[in-house]
Amino acid sequence: MSAFRIRCVAVAALFVATAATVAFADPPPAAQIKPRQDKLRDMGGALKAITDEIKKGRIDWDNAVIPNAQTVKDRSVYILNWFPKGSGPEAHVKTYALPAIWQKFDDFTKQGKQLQADAAKLQQVANAKDEAGLKAQVQTIGKTCKACHDPYRSPDYEKDNEE
Amino acid sequence: MSTAKSRIWDLPTRLMHWALVISIAVCWWTGTHNDLDYHIYSGYAALWIVLMRIYWGFAGASTAQFKNFVRGPRAVIAYVRTLHWRNTAHTPGHNPLGALSVLALLGVVLTVVVQGLFAVDVDGLYSGPMSLYVTFKKGRHLAHLHYQWFEYLLYVIGLHLAAVAFYYVHKRHNLVTPMITGKAHIEEEMTGAPLWRFVLGAVVISAFVWAVSKGFYIF
Repeated sequence: MSAFRIRCVAVAALFVATAATVAFADPPPAAQIKPRQDKLRDMGGALKAITDEIKKGRIDWDNAVIPNAQTVKDRSVYILNWFPKGSGPEAHVKTYALPAIWQKFDDFTKQGKQLQADAAKLQQVANAKDEAGLKAQVQTIGKTCKACHDPYRSPDYEKDNEE
Repeated sequence: MSTAKSRIWDLPTRLMHWALVISIAVCWWTGTHNDLDYHIYSGYAALWIVLMRIYWGFAGASTAQFKNFVRGPRAVIAYVRTLHWRNTAHTPGHNPLGALSVLALLGVVLTVVVQGLFAVDVDGLYSGPMSLYVTFKKGRHLAHLHYQWFEYLLYVIGLHLAAVAFYYVHKRHNLVTPMITGKAHIEEEMTGAPLWRFVLGAVVISAFVWAVSKGFYIF
């Protein structure tokens, strides 16, 4: 094979690799905002479904608690992927994510990992149909949500009526 | 003006008035500070007081009864025409314009409380006891309305306070002291209501508010 042909193949390979990278690369950060909100809302809805069961005082494990704990757990696994750099207010898409997320990304990551651990535990107590454990874990996970929402989410979300 | 003081507001009406002030203040503080455990309790208190006041509007002392102070639009307009007069006589109970203020306050407080009963917070962790009956999305919408209508309530309260200040400054009528002592320099005296009626209403309404707090999952 001549040096020229090798060079041609190399260039072609580079083109393919670049094209593939562009095609399969993460979508631009701004595109994360809407799906991120939808998924966080799913988690809120799932937690409501679980707290509803606790309030009723007669828990429907199979139809309500277990599937919703599964939702929380499944979503939590990906939560740290939803906040790429550039998906804050600078994206010019409506978001309550504060710049503090990216300024203190280590702390934010720590909080996200805490949620993942709590959500896994939530699923565990749900699957075990452990009522006392469920009540305690809902409290725990609530504190984790709040610990992250207080510093990293704009309180303006209460004022707007767009959800 | 006579110097003798007559009773114009009975004790339940006065207690409910000031208890409502306190409960709304606690609701406001706990709501804006995200202290939702206590927010829910203070909301139940406000619900109980408003329901009791509505009941007392039918069963209470003469000056508390709606039929004795809620008037038609003609009476309201006639009263508004004389509003700027400085020498109007004290009358027992609410004047026709004040009656609208009473209805607006009770109505808006009740609206805000009912919205709160169905509201859900953004994390799905705190919710009103009746939110079992609505979806997360609907509950979130009601939470926003709850917030929005509380602002309307603040305007209505502001109007109420402005009216009290206007009567004090312009007409030299002190409306605050009678709401504390129950007495004013007025010829006419109110007719009280027996205590058992208050107790009966309190028992029934407490049971109702308790059932609401359980989302009616009581058996």
